[in-house]
Amino acid sequence: MKPFTFLTPTDAHEAVALMAEHGTSARLIAGGQSLLLAMKERTATPSVLVSLSSVTGLSGITTGSSGELSVGTTTTYAVLADAALPGWHAEISRMAGDLADRPVRTMGTIGGAICAADPRFDMPVLVMGTGARLEVLGAAGARTIDPSDFFLAGGGTCLSPDEVLTAIHFPEREHYRAVAFEKFRQRQFDAATASVLCALTQGSDGRIGAARIAVGAVAPSPRLCSATTEAMVSGADPFALDLEEVGVAVAAEVLPETDTGTARYHCELVKALTRRALARALSTLGS
Amino acid sequence: MTQAPTRPTDSQDDAAPERTGLVGRSVPRREDLALLTGTARFIDDLKLPGMVYAKILRSKVAHARLRAVDLTRARAMPGVLDALCGADLAGKVKPWGDLMQDLLVGDHTPFATDKVLYEGQEIAAVVAATKYQALDALEAIDVDLDLLPALVDPEDALAPDAPLIQEGISYEFGNGNVFDRYRVRVGDAERAAAEAAVVVRQRFATNRQAGAALDPHGCIASYDSFTHELTVYSSTQSIYMVRDVLADVLQIPRNKVRVIVPEVGAGFGSKAQIFPYEVIASIFSMRIGRPVHLVLGRKEIFQSGTARNGQVRYAELMCKRDGTITGYRDYVVHNCGAMSVWGNQVIHIGTNVGMLPYAVPNVHVDSDIVHTNTAPGGALRGFGIPQMIWAKEQLVDMAAAELGIDPLEMRARNVIRPESFPYRTPMGQVIDSTSVYDCLHKSAEAIGWAGAKAEPKPYEGVGLAVSMKYTSCRHPSFDTDLSAVRLRLETDGTVTIYSSDVSHGQSHATMLAQIVSDGLGVGFEKITLARPDSLTSPFGLGTYASRGAAVLGTACRLATERLRAKVLTMAAHVLEAAPDDLEIGNDRVYVKGLPDSGLYLEILAGMAAYRTHQLPDGFEPTLEAVATYDTPTEREHADGSGNLSVTYSTAAHAARVRVDPDTGLVRVVDYAMAHDTGVVINPLVVEGQHQGGFLMGLGMVLGEDYVYDKDGHLLNASFKDYLAPTATDMPELTKLYEIPAPSVTIPGGQKGAGESGTGPVPAAVGNAVFDATGVRFTALPITPQKMLLALREKERRGVKTFRYPDDMPDFRGPRRPDDWPTPRAADEAEFDWDFDDEFGDEDGAE
Repeated sequence: MKPFTFLTPTDAHEAVALMAEHGTSARLIAGGQSLLLAMKERTATPSVLVSLSSVTGLSGITTGSSGELSVGTTTTYAVLADAALPGWHAEISRMAGDLADRPVRTMGTIGGAICAADPRFDMPVLVMGTGARLEVLGAAGARTIDPSDFFLAGGGTCLSPDEVLTAIHFPEREHYRAVAFEKFRQRQFDAATASVLCALTQGSDGRIGAARIAVGAVAPSPRLCSATTEAMVSGADPFALDLEEVGVAVAAEVLPETDTGTARYHCELVKALTRRALARALSTLGS
Repeated sequence: MTQAPTRPTDSQDDAAPERTGLVGRSVPRREDLALLTGTARFIDDLKLPGMVYAKILRSKVAHARLRAVDLTRARAMPGVLDALCGADLAGKVKPWGDLMQDLLVGDHTPFATDKVLYEGQEIAAVVAATKYQALDALEAIDVDLDLLPALVDPEDALAPDAPLIQEGISYEFGNGNVFDRYRVRVGDAERAAAEAAVVVRQRFATNRQAGAALDPHGCIASYDSFTHELTVYSSTQSIYMVRDVLADVLQIPRNKVRVIVPEVGAGFGSKAQIFPYEVIASIFSMRIGRPVHLVLGRKEIFQSGTARNGQVRYAELMCKRDGTITGYRDYVVHNCGAMSVWGNQVIHIGTNVGMLPYAVPNVHVDSDIVHTNTAPGGALRGFGIPQMIWAKEQLVDMAAAELGIDPLEMRARNVIRPESFPYRTPMGQVIDSTSVYDCLHKSAEAIGWAGAKAEPKPYEGVGLAVSMKYTSCRHPSFDTDLSAVRLRLETDGTVTIYSSDVSHGQSHATMLAQIVSDGLGVGFEKITLARPDSLTSPFGLGTYASRGAAVLGTACRLATERLRAKVLTMAAHVLEAAPDDLEIGNDRVYVKGLPDSGLYLEILAGMAAYRTHQLPDGFEPTLEAVATYDTPTEREHADGSGNLSVTYSTAAHAARVRVDPDTGLVRVVDYAMAHDTGVVINPLVVEGQHQGGFLMGLGMVLGEDYVYDKDGHLLNASFKDYLAPTATDMPELTKLYEIPAPSVTIPGGQKGAGESGTGPVPAAVGNAVFDATGVRFTALPITPQKMLLALREKERRGVKTFRYPDDMPDFRGPRRPDDWPTPRAADEAEFDWDFDDEFGDEDGAE
């Protein structure tokens, strides 16, 4: 670690101004669970840290008038895990309570994980899979970004240095009938080796209305499997779906055509996790 | 001899004999309070007045010619006090590696001088007022390197055109990467193979495992320019090894080097040697006259601390129709990394002791001990035995399958069960006692062996493995196995224990106090263990090789007996009684049968120190006694046989695993361990050692490995990427059993405890994985990825069982069987030891 200046703005606009002022020598810090590790290894060497911890209005969970769930960027995993959210939002709590270890969950934030954009993390897959909208404040004003645009295909995010992710807006509780996330990691506290999130809506006829499947950890960014889900929902009876077949299609859609041991393993994992996530989502659909 | 109590989980029926003393009881560990409250002071917690901070620049490449190191810019950086590189020290400090360890050559230097041999090797160092300034200065060091091709695979090291790693050293076997060879010739393995009903053969590969002690390697060196005393606080397992080698390297008197340990948060063998950082910090302190702090980061420890030696084994096991093991043949490529002080000893001990618990009459082993451009190999919990057992105990299962014998029955027919002890095996081990047969059945019964075999469940399996572990550190190149204890009965009736053997998890403060309390009749709470300090502690070798309870414990017992005799002599004089009529206990000496009367020890000690006129004639004042114990072991014979250990502890393990066919994750869902640790001084401590030993074995079999790319870069040098198991990976261990067969050779009956829990784990889990899936793993570790790919490959081939990744049933024996060069140094007869004659001739005196 190198010595740095620690700034604690109390207002989001002030944070943006500080970031604009210090440029690339500054980094935003929320829970610090990724950045501090990088700084200790000197792979990140900011001379200024702009902390979001004192900024008012960036933390907490609120339900908007339209029913959408807004989560402040500095909301910690621990708060999310304890939130007792109803409907499919409960899956957000479940995910936040089943990642890393307790010290990380106590300090780490949802916004920090999304901006770190590590594909092995669960939060990028969550927002990609559920189609959450990401609200950003920058020197040029506020904007809302779709996760497909937020995460760059080659890794990283589309944010400019002076932009701050302020909130994550998840679709309302009624939007999905079922959301299920499945991941694999060798050790309890590891980031995922592969992960799959499956979100389903139910049509009036009992069939699948719409579906989203997102895959994490096997590519530089979370991947949305639009082709597979489009084929899957075209009038299909959800309970007659061949889950194995969907898994194969998902793997084919997200994985590169290489034949290394790791690629083959990723393929196997994506198939199995898709099957598990889909089965769990369908069981919710059927209940 | 005291019979140690069995654990409460074992049968309660046979009432333990009445115990009066503390030995054998689970006295709570004195060490725990400081550890649990965070008040224990480890090396990085120490701060000396005026202390400054050193950091080491390490090579980012694995193999290169070092053209130049320019420290000019670094020296000019803010806060920098001094900087050093190899060129500054060449010819000024003595290389090491050949002093205590008696290695072939002293090839260790503080810095690389003309060549870089592995990623992480020391290139330069700076010392500055703060850590940050030191790290900044490292970035200003200019290094000129010419890259050389890296050698990562140990078998590639044997190729005639392989890159040469250690240049300028003429080894016994030429100038290649083979720096030593090892062989065993016991009986006639070729004949055993010809006459065998079944010979099973397989190539096995083992992984590199880190010591992964949570307390980092590090030291603080403080030189006094006026007294010329160099004080080194170091997180080490052996203060005298550090002191003697450091003094030799610096060429200063040994009594001017004082090595002290802070709390040491484990070592597992990885801190049982001197490291360059200890030399570098000392030189800096001598040059600038200030205390120098040099504590390594985790990445540095992964790269340049010692890791378990990796091996490739071409192993064969020969058996008769009834399952009797008649022979073992093996060709081993033993990877010591780029340099290694202990690494070549690992193959000796691991192979010799690894033949146990079977008395194999015909053994033929050849080994090439090679250098690669990887981290130094060395001592790590088990010292070669887990590697050997991984191969051998899987071969036993393979042979059992071919013979149609149950693996439990196969082992039961072969484990040593002599009619009388001591029993000498064909390999030369003298077994003074063992309960291995009972341990084997206990562990199998506890895991539900018969039931699991009768009703197999899909993707669930059970496996067995047995091993024995030596309790000594006498190696072929290390001809000593001593520890010492000095005791002083203080003038207030308390007792101080002095020992140089570092406790880093072995609970010396508890265990030794139990022995002293029993022997001297002093209250446990009145006994204190002084911190190891080379200026005041009696000379001992240190804490490794599972010697603590048996060797140090015996030294403590002997010192206690001597002090007791002294106390009784004096008390007899004062009480005007015969010493034989006196008893010692309750902090006093009393006439037998009158325990409530007598003289308090503090009165006797006070007289012995302050009223010496009242002492008996010829009585040496003060109540102090010292004892050194060296074990009655043998040197290794030229054929590889020999009794290298004073006694042997036993571990019989049984694993139950469950494999997830979707993800390949192997979970050990149940595990049973039956051990013979002889007389257990403190069952709580020994259980802790067994649990920790198991977890280390679990990491070896299911996750840990040094992952190198082809250029020799270590890709997982952090606890994030290096898959050491954590608490959540540990199954609930409820099936631990002690079946004590007290050592006859060790006066108190103890056997080593620290490493026996590791030996059988990889093999037991490997055998269970085969039982669960039909996949015989031949390479460690069994990661989820390898497990799943193996399952798919097995399905693709449509076979019931197969070996992965080395499916080579046609392999026939060592690739280079009997054309083995004769290791000359092993034959003592070739040496002329009669130096006096030579000198006589030269002087012309005779």
